Amino acid sequence: MAQSKKPAGQKGSARNARNASSRPLGFYLILGAIAAAGIGGLAYAALRSDPATTVSDAPVPATPGSSEARGYMLGDSSAPVQIVEFADFECPSCARFATITEPDVRTRIIETGLANLTYFDLPLPQHLNSQAASNAAACADDQGKFWAMHDEIYARQHEWSTYATKNPKGPLREAAQAAGLELKAWEKCFDERRHQARIDANAAEAGRRGVGSTPTFFIGGKMFTGAISYDAIKAAVDSARGASAVAPGSDSTR
Amino acid sequence: MAVAALALAGIFVALYLTLYKLGAIGELSCRVGSCETVNSSPWAVFLGAPVAAWGVAFYVVTFTLAMAGLHDRFAESRRLALGLVLLSGFGVAFSAWLTYLELFVIRAICQWCVVSAVIVLAIFLVCVWDYRAPIEKQVADH
Repeated sequence: MAQSKKPAGQKGSARNARNASSRPLGFYLILGAIAAAGIGGLAYAALRSDPATTVSDAPVPATPGSSEARGYMLGDSSAPVQIVEFADFECPSCARFATITEPDVRTRIIETGLANLTYFDLPLPQHLNSQAASNAAACADDQGKFWAMHDEIYARQHEWSTYATKNPKGPLREAAQAAGLELKAWEKCFDERRHQARIDANAAEAGRRGVGSTPTFFIGGKMFTGAISYDAIKAAVDSARGASAVAPGSDSTR
Repeated sequence: MAVAALALAGIFVALYLTLYKLGAIGELSCRVGSCETVNSSPWAVFLGAPVAAWGVAFYVVTFTLAMAGLHDRFAESRRLALGLVLLSGFGVAFSAWLTYLELFVIRAICQWCVVSAVIVLAIFLVCVWDYRAPIEKQVADH
Protein backbone atom coordinates (compact mmCIF):
# COMPACT_ATOMS: atom_id res chain seq x y z
CA MET A 1 0.00 0.00 0.00
CA ALA A 2 2.89 2.35 0.77
CA GLN A 3 4.57 2.18 -2.59
CA SER A 4 1.47 3.04 -4.57
CA LYS A 5 0.94 6.55 -3.27
CA LYS A 6 2.49 8.36 -6.19
CA PRO A 7 0.79 11.48 -7.51
CA ALA A 8 -1.83 10.57 -10.04
CA GLY A 9 -0.01 10.43 -13.37
CA GLN A 10 1.48 13.91 -13.26
CA LYS A 11 4.38 13.44 -15.64
CA GLY A 12 3.78 9.97 -16.93
CA SER A 13 3.45 8.15 -20.18
CA ALA A 14 0.08 7.16 -21.44
CA ARG A 15 0.43 3.88 -19.58
CA ASN A 16 1.10 5.56 -16.27
CA ALA A 17 -1.80 7.88 -16.74
CA ARG A 18 -4.10 4.99 -17.51
CA ASN A 19 -3.00 3.06 -14.45
CA ALA A 20 -3.30 6.06 -12.25
CA SER A 21 -6.83 6.58 -13.39
CA SER A 22 -7.62 2.95 -12.57
CA ARG A 23 -6.91 3.50 -8.88
CA PRO A 24 -8.38 6.85 -8.01
CA LEU A 25 -8.42 8.53 -4.67
CA GLY A 26 -11.81 6.98 -3.98
CA PHE A 27 -10.21 3.55 -3.86
CA TYR A 28 -7.89 4.59 -1.06
CA LEU A 29 -10.76 6.25 0.73
CA ILE A 30 -12.65 2.95 0.60
CA LEU A 31 -9.60 1.05 1.88
CA GLY A 32 -9.23 3.64 4.63
CA ALA A 33 -12.89 3.33 5.55
CA ILE A 34 -12.62 -0.47 5.74
CA ALA A 35 -9.50 -0.21 7.89
CA ALA A 36 -11.13 2.35 10.17
CA ALA A 37 -14.27 0.23 10.52
CA GLY A 38 -12.18 -2.86 11.23
CA ILE A 39 -9.96 -1.19 13.82
CA GLY A 40 -12.97 0.46 15.41
CA GLY A 41 -14.84 -2.82 15.58
CA LEU A 42 -11.90 -4.61 17.16
CA ALA A 43 -11.39 -1.81 19.67
CA TYR A 44 -15.06 -1.89 20.59
CA ALA A 45 -14.96 -5.66 21.09
CA ALA A 46 -11.78 -5.37 23.17
CA LEU A 47 -13.14 -2.63 25.44
CA ARG A 48 -16.35 -4.53 25.97
CA SER A 49 -14.32 -7.43 27.32
CA ASP A 50 -13.69 -5.86 30.73
CA PRO A 51 -14.85 -8.78 32.85
CA ALA A 52 -15.83 -6.76 35.91
CA THR A 53 -18.49 -4.76 34.08
CA THR A 54 -20.96 -7.55 33.59
CA VAL A 55 -22.69 -7.45 36.88
CA SER A 56 -26.36 -7.97 37.27
CA ASP A 57 -28.73 -8.34 40.13
CA ALA A 58 -30.29 -11.73 40.34
CA PRO A 59 -32.93 -13.01 42.67
CA VAL A 60 -31.14 -15.98 44.16
CA PRO A 61 -32.56 -18.42 46.62
CA ALA A 62 -30.27 -18.71 49.62
CA THR A 63 -30.20 -22.50 49.55
CA PRO A 64 -28.94 -24.54 46.62
CA GLY A 65 -32.38 -26.00 45.98
CA SER A 66 -34.10 -29.26 46.59
CA SER A 67 -32.27 -31.43 44.07
CA GLU A 68 -29.26 -33.45 45.02
CA ALA A 69 -27.00 -30.64 43.83
CA ARG A 70 -24.06 -30.56 46.18
CA GLY A 71 -21.15 -28.24 45.64
CA TYR A 72 -17.68 -28.50 47.11
CA MET A 73 -17.08 -26.07 49.93
CA LEU A 74 -13.79 -24.43 50.79
CA GLY A 75 -13.36 -22.57 54.05
CA ASP A 76 -15.44 -22.09 57.17
CA SER A 77 -19.00 -23.32 56.68
CA SER A 78 -20.24 -20.67 59.10
CA ALA A 79 -18.47 -17.78 57.37
CA PRO A 80 -20.62 -14.64 57.10
CA VAL A 81 -20.61 -14.55 53.28
CA GLN A 82 -21.06 -17.37 50.82
CA ILE A 83 -19.38 -17.28 47.43
CA VAL A 84 -20.87 -19.71 44.95
CA GLU A 85 -18.98 -20.52 41.77
CA PHE A 86 -20.30 -22.34 38.71
CA ALA A 87 -17.42 -23.49 36.55
CA ASP A 88 -16.39 -25.84 33.79
CA PHE A 89 -13.05 -27.61 34.23
CA GLU A 90 -12.34 -27.33 30.53
CA CYS A 91 -13.25 -23.66 30.16
CA PRO A 92 -10.10 -21.55 29.62
CA SER A 93 -11.58 -18.61 31.51
CA CYS A 94 -12.29 -20.83 34.49
CA ALA A 95 -8.70 -22.07 34.37
CA ARG A 96 -7.49 -18.50 34.27
CA PHE A 97 -9.55 -17.70 37.34
CA ALA A 98 -8.53 -20.85 39.18
CA THR A 99 -4.82 -20.43 38.57
CA ILE A 100 -4.36 -16.66 38.65
CA THR A 101 -7.10 -15.10 40.76
CA GLU A 102 -8.22 -17.82 43.12
CA PRO A 103 -4.97 -18.18 45.11
CA ASP A 104 -5.44 -14.59 46.29
CA VAL A 105 -9.09 -15.20 47.07
CA ARG A 106 -8.10 -18.18 49.18
CA THR A 107 -5.39 -16.57 51.26
CA ARG A 108 -7.05 -13.21 51.74
CA ILE A 109 -10.78 -13.97 51.82
CA ILE A 110 -11.38 -17.66 52.52
CA GLU A 111 -8.56 -18.36 54.99
CA THR A 112 -9.23 -15.13 56.85
CA GLY A 113 -12.81 -16.27 57.41
CA LEU A 114 -14.47 -13.45 55.48
CA ALA A 115 -16.30 -15.90 53.26
CA ASN A 116 -16.45 -19.48 52.11
CA LEU A 117 -16.53 -20.68 48.52
CA THR A 118 -18.64 -23.45 47.06
CA TYR A 119 -17.81 -24.88 43.64
CA PHE A 120 -20.53 -26.31 41.40
CA ASP A 121 -19.83 -28.19 38.16
CA LEU A 122 -21.24 -26.81 34.94
CA PRO A 123 -19.71 -28.90 32.16
CA LEU A 124 -20.56 -27.19 28.86
CA PRO A 125 -21.45 -29.41 25.91
CA GLN A 126 -18.69 -28.13 23.61
CA HIS A 127 -16.04 -29.24 26.10
CA LEU A 128 -16.04 -32.94 25.43
CA ASN A 129 -13.72 -33.91 28.28
CA SER A 130 -15.25 -31.72 30.95
CA GLN A 131 -17.60 -34.43 32.26
CA ALA A 132 -14.60 -36.70 32.78
CA ALA A 133 -12.80 -33.94 34.66
CA SER A 134 -15.82 -33.31 36.88
CA ASN A 135 -15.96 -37.03 37.64
CA ALA A 136 -12.25 -37.05 38.41
CA ALA A 137 -12.72 -34.20 40.87
CA ALA A 138 -15.83 -35.72 42.46
CA CYS A 139 -13.91 -38.94 43.05
CA ALA A 140 -11.17 -36.93 44.73
CA ASP A 141 -13.84 -35.53 47.04
CA ASP A 142 -14.42 -39.10 48.25
CA GLN A 143 -10.91 -38.93 49.67
CA GLY A 144 -11.41 -35.41 51.01
CA LYS A 145 -9.10 -33.95 48.38
CA PHE A 146 -11.43 -32.20 45.97
CA TRP A 147 -9.56 -28.90 46.12
CA ALA A 148 -6.13 -30.42 45.61
CA MET A 149 -7.52 -32.24 42.57
CA HIS A 150 -9.35 -29.10 41.43
CA ASP A 151 -6.02 -27.27 41.34
CA GLU A 152 -4.22 -30.04 39.50
CA ILE A 153 -7.00 -30.42 36.92
CA TYR A 154 -7.01 -26.72 36.11
CA ALA A 155 -3.23 -26.44 36.06
CA ARG A 156 -3.10 -29.32 33.58
CA GLN A 157 -6.07 -28.28 31.46
CA HIS A 158 -3.91 -28.20 28.32
CA GLU A 159 -2.95 -31.85 28.88
CA TRP A 160 -6.43 -33.37 29.04
CA SER A 161 -8.71 -30.92 27.18
CA THR A 162 -10.60 -31.73 24.00
CA TYR A 163 -7.74 -30.33 21.92
CA ALA A 164 -5.15 -32.43 23.65
CA THR A 165 -6.73 -35.85 23.69
CA LYS A 166 -9.79 -37.96 23.01
CA ASN A 167 -9.14 -40.02 26.12
CA PRO A 168 -8.46 -37.76 29.10
CA LYS A 169 -8.14 -40.53 31.65
CA GLY A 170 -4.36 -40.78 31.44
CA PRO A 171 -3.59 -37.13 32.17
CA LEU A 172 -6.38 -36.97 34.77
CA ARG A 173 -4.82 -39.98 36.46
CA GLU A 174 -1.53 -38.11 36.60
CA ALA A 175 -3.40 -35.19 38.15
CA ALA A 176 -4.86 -37.56 40.73
CA GLN A 177 -1.39 -38.82 41.53
CA ALA A 178 -0.05 -35.28 41.89
CA ALA A 179 -2.98 -34.41 44.15
CA GLY A 180 -1.91 -37.23 46.47
CA LEU A 181 -4.91 -39.49 45.92
CA GLU A 182 -5.06 -43.20 46.53
CA LEU A 183 -5.08 -44.18 42.88
CA LYS A 184 -6.80 -47.58 42.98
CA ALA A 185 -9.87 -46.21 44.74
CA TRP A 186 -9.87 -43.10 42.58
CA GLU A 187 -9.66 -45.10 39.38
CA LYS A 188 -12.49 -47.42 40.36
CA CYS A 189 -14.71 -44.46 41.22
CA PHE A 190 -13.74 -42.68 37.98
CA ASP A 191 -14.29 -45.70 35.77
CA GLU A 192 -17.78 -46.34 37.07
CA ARG A 193 -18.68 -42.63 36.86
CA ARG A 194 -19.89 -42.96 40.43
CA HIS A 195 -20.78 -39.30 40.91
CA GLN A 196 -22.35 -38.56 37.54
CA ALA A 197 -25.74 -37.91 39.20
CA ARG A 198 -24.19 -35.29 41.48
CA ILE A 199 -22.52 -33.58 38.54
CA ASP A 200 -25.75 -33.60 36.53
CA ALA A 201 -27.60 -32.15 39.52
CA ASN A 202 -25.00 -29.40 39.89
CA ALA A 203 -25.38 -28.51 36.22
CA ALA A 204 -29.16 -28.52 36.62
CA GLU A 205 -28.76 -26.15 39.55
CA ALA A 206 -26.93 -23.77 37.21
CA GLY A 207 -29.85 -23.91 34.82
CA ARG A 208 -32.27 -23.20 37.65
CA ARG A 209 -30.31 -20.09 38.59
CA GLY A 210 -30.11 -18.86 35.02
CA VAL A 211 -26.38 -19.40 34.69
CA GLY A 212 -25.48 -19.45 31.01
CA SER A 213 -21.71 -19.09 31.05
CA THR A 214 -18.70 -20.07 33.10
CA PRO A 215 -17.34 -19.01 35.42
CA THR A 216 -20.31 -17.40 37.12
CA PHE A 217 -20.27 -16.27 40.73
CA PHE A 218 -22.99 -15.52 43.24
CA ILE A 219 -21.96 -13.29 46.10
CA GLY A 220 -24.48 -11.73 48.42
CA GLY A 221 -27.42 -12.16 46.08
CA LYS A 222 -25.62 -10.76 43.06
CA MET A 223 -24.53 -12.60 39.98
CA PHE A 224 -21.14 -11.94 38.39
CA THR A 225 -20.28 -13.49 35.04
CA GLY A 226 -16.81 -14.07 33.71
CA ALA A 227 -13.43 -14.48 35.34
CA ILE A 228 -13.82 -11.48 37.60
CA SER A 229 -10.90 -9.93 39.44
CA TYR A 230 -9.87 -10.34 43.06
CA ASP A 231 -10.87 -6.73 43.69
CA ALA A 232 -14.37 -7.31 42.33
CA ILE A 233 -14.80 -10.33 44.59
CA LYS A 234 -13.42 -8.51 47.63
CA ALA A 235 -15.75 -5.58 47.02
CA ALA A 236 -18.75 -7.88 46.64
CA VAL A 237 -17.83 -9.79 49.81
CA ASP A 238 -17.37 -6.55 51.76
CA SER A 239 -20.67 -5.22 50.50
CA ALA A 240 -22.48 -8.46 51.35
CA ARG A 241 -20.85 -8.51 54.79
CA GLY A 242 -21.87 -4.92 55.38
CA ALA A 243 -25.44 -5.71 54.40
CA SER A 244 -25.65 -8.76 56.63
CA ALA A 245 -23.96 -6.93 59.51
CA VAL A 246 -26.47 -4.11 59.45
CA ALA A 247 -29.43 -6.42 59.66
CA PRO A 248 -28.61 -8.18 62.97
CA GLY A 249 -27.65 -4.85 64.47
CA SER A 250 -24.23 -5.10 66.07
CA ASP A 251 -20.96 -5.06 64.19
CA SER A 252 -17.88 -3.67 65.86
CA THR A 253 -15.63 -3.90 62.85
CA ARG A 254 -17.10 -0.92 61.05
CA MET B 1 -9.20 -3.25 -6.50
CA ALA B 2 -12.30 -5.04 -5.37
CA VAL B 3 -10.06 -7.94 -4.34
CA ALA B 4 -7.88 -5.66 -2.22
CA ALA B 5 -10.90 -4.12 -0.50
CA LEU B 6 -12.48 -7.51 0.18
CA ALA B 7 -9.19 -8.94 1.44
CA LEU B 8 -8.71 -6.00 3.78
CA ALA B 9 -12.18 -6.57 5.22
CA GLY B 10 -11.32 -10.27 5.49
CA ILE B 11 -8.16 -9.46 7.46
CA PHE B 12 -10.24 -7.78 10.14
CA VAL B 13 -12.88 -10.50 10.26
CA ALA B 14 -10.21 -13.20 10.62
CA LEU B 15 -8.28 -11.08 13.11
CA TYR B 16 -11.40 -10.72 15.24
CA LEU B 17 -11.98 -14.47 15.19
CA THR B 18 -8.33 -15.11 16.07
CA LEU B 19 -8.33 -12.72 19.02
CA TYR B 20 -11.65 -14.17 20.12
CA LYS B 21 -10.20 -17.64 19.92
CA LEU B 22 -7.15 -16.62 21.91
CA GLY B 23 -9.35 -15.03 24.55
CA ALA B 24 -7.94 -11.54 24.02
CA ILE B 25 -11.33 -10.21 22.96
CA GLY B 26 -14.82 -10.86 24.20
CA GLU B 27 -15.90 -11.70 27.71
CA LEU B 28 -13.55 -13.82 29.76
CA SER B 29 -16.02 -16.63 30.01
CA CYS B 30 -17.23 -19.75 28.26
CA ARG B 31 -20.82 -20.08 27.19
CA VAL B 32 -23.06 -22.24 25.14
CA GLY B 33 -23.54 -20.57 21.79
CA SER B 34 -22.92 -21.12 18.13
CA CYS B 35 -19.70 -19.16 17.79
CA GLU B 36 -18.35 -20.60 21.02
CA THR B 37 -19.20 -24.12 19.91
CA VAL B 38 -17.57 -23.67 16.53
CA ASN B 39 -14.53 -21.80 17.77
CA SER B 40 -13.85 -24.24 20.59
CA SER B 41 -14.39 -27.34 18.49
CA PRO B 42 -11.42 -29.56 17.60
CA TRP B 43 -11.65 -28.25 14.02
CA ALA B 44 -10.86 -24.68 15.09
CA VAL B 45 -7.17 -25.61 15.22
CA PHE B 46 -5.22 -26.49 12.09
CA LEU B 47 -1.54 -27.47 12.08
CA GLY B 48 -1.09 -26.15 15.59
CA ALA B 49 -2.55 -22.69 14.98
CA PRO B 50 -6.12 -21.42 15.18
CA VAL B 51 -7.91 -21.73 11.83
CA ALA B 52 -8.72 -18.03 12.11
CA ALA B 53 -5.00 -17.22 12.28
CA TRP B 54 -4.50 -19.08 9.00
CA GLY B 55 -7.34 -16.93 7.71
CA VAL B 56 -5.46 -13.77 8.70
CA ALA B 57 -2.37 -15.03 6.86
CA PHE B 58 -4.46 -15.90 3.81
CA TYR B 59 -6.08 -12.48 3.65
CA VAL B 60 -2.78 -10.66 4.20
CA VAL B 61 -1.17 -12.54 1.30
CA THR B 62 -4.23 -11.96 -0.89
CA PHE B 63 -4.30 -8.27 -0.02
CA THR B 64 -0.58 -7.92 -0.76
CA LEU B 65 -0.90 -9.65 -4.13
CA ALA B 66 -3.96 -7.61 -5.03
CA MET B 67 -2.19 -4.37 -4.18
CA ALA B 68 0.87 -5.49 -6.15
CA GLY B 69 -1.42 -6.20 -9.07
CA LEU B 70 -2.42 -2.54 -9.09
CA HIS B 71 1.19 -1.48 -9.46
CA ASP B 72 2.32 -0.58 -12.95
CA ARG B 73 4.95 -3.30 -12.96
CA PHE B 74 2.45 -6.13 -12.48
CA ALA B 75 -0.65 -4.54 -13.94
CA GLU B 76 -0.60 -6.77 -16.99
CA SER B 77 0.78 -9.84 -15.26
CA ARG B 78 -1.18 -12.93 -16.16
CA ARG B 79 0.89 -14.94 -13.73
CA LEU B 80 -0.17 -12.79 -10.81
CA ALA B 81 -3.81 -12.99 -11.87
CA LEU B 82 -3.52 -16.76 -12.13
CA GLY B 83 -1.83 -16.89 -8.71
CA LEU B 84 -4.74 -14.98 -7.21
CA VAL B 85 -7.22 -17.35 -8.84
CA LEU B 86 -5.42 -20.38 -7.42
CA LEU B 87 -4.93 -18.84 -3.99
CA SER B 88 -8.54 -17.73 -3.65
CA GLY B 89 -9.72 -21.03 -5.12
CA PHE B 90 -7.86 -22.78 -2.34
CA GLY B 91 -9.48 -20.37 0.11
CA VAL B 92 -12.92 -21.20 -1.23
CA ALA B 93 -12.25 -24.95 -0.96
CA PHE B 94 -11.00 -24.58 2.61
CA SER B 95 -13.96 -22.39 3.59
CA ALA B 96 -16.35 -24.84 1.98
CA TRP B 97 -14.83 -27.62 4.08
CA LEU B 98 -15.17 -25.53 7.25
CA THR B 99 -18.77 -24.60 6.42
CA TYR B 100 -19.54 -28.26 5.77
CA LEU B 101 -18.13 -29.07 9.23
CA GLU B 102 -20.24 -26.34 10.79
CA LEU B 103 -23.44 -27.52 9.15
CA PHE B 104 -23.14 -31.28 9.37
CA VAL B 105 -20.54 -32.17 12.01
CA ILE B 106 -20.45 -29.42 14.64
CA ARG B 107 -24.05 -28.49 13.90
CA ALA B 108 -23.59 -24.87 14.82
CA ILE B 109 -23.05 -21.77 12.72
CA CYS B 110 -20.62 -19.01 13.59
CA GLN B 111 -21.79 -15.89 11.80
CA TRP B 112 -18.36 -14.29 11.35
CA CYS B 113 -17.04 -17.55 9.90
CA VAL B 114 -19.86 -17.37 7.36
CA VAL B 115 -19.00 -13.73 6.62
CA SER B 116 -15.44 -14.83 5.94
CA ALA B 117 -16.61 -17.63 3.66
CA VAL B 118 -18.72 -15.17 1.67
CA ILE B 119 -15.75 -12.77 1.36
CA VAL B 120 -13.49 -15.56 0.11
CA LEU B 121 -16.10 -16.60 -2.43
CA ALA B 122 -16.47 -13.02 -3.65
CA ILE B 123 -12.68 -12.65 -3.93
CA PHE B 124 -12.50 -15.86 -5.94
CA LEU B 125 -15.24 -14.77 -8.35
CA VAL B 126 -13.61 -11.37 -8.92
CA CYS B 127 -10.20 -13.02 -9.44
CA VAL B 128 -11.64 -15.41 -12.01
CA TRP B 129 -13.31 -12.51 -13.76
CA ASP B 130 -10.04 -10.57 -13.76
CA TYR B 131 -8.13 -13.52 -15.14
CA ARG B 132 -10.58 -14.31 -17.90
CA ALA B 133 -11.22 -10.77 -18.99
CA PRO B 134 -8.03 -8.74 -18.48
CA ILE B 135 -9.11 -6.17 -21.05
CA GLU B 136 -12.33 -5.51 -19.23
CA LYS B 137 -10.50 -5.45 -15.92
CA GLN B 138 -11.08 -1.80 -15.25
CA VAL B 139 -14.74 -2.07 -16.04
CA ALA B 140 -15.11 -4.98 -13.66
CA ASP B 141 -13.34 -3.18 -10.88
CA HIS B 142 -15.55 -0.15 -10.97
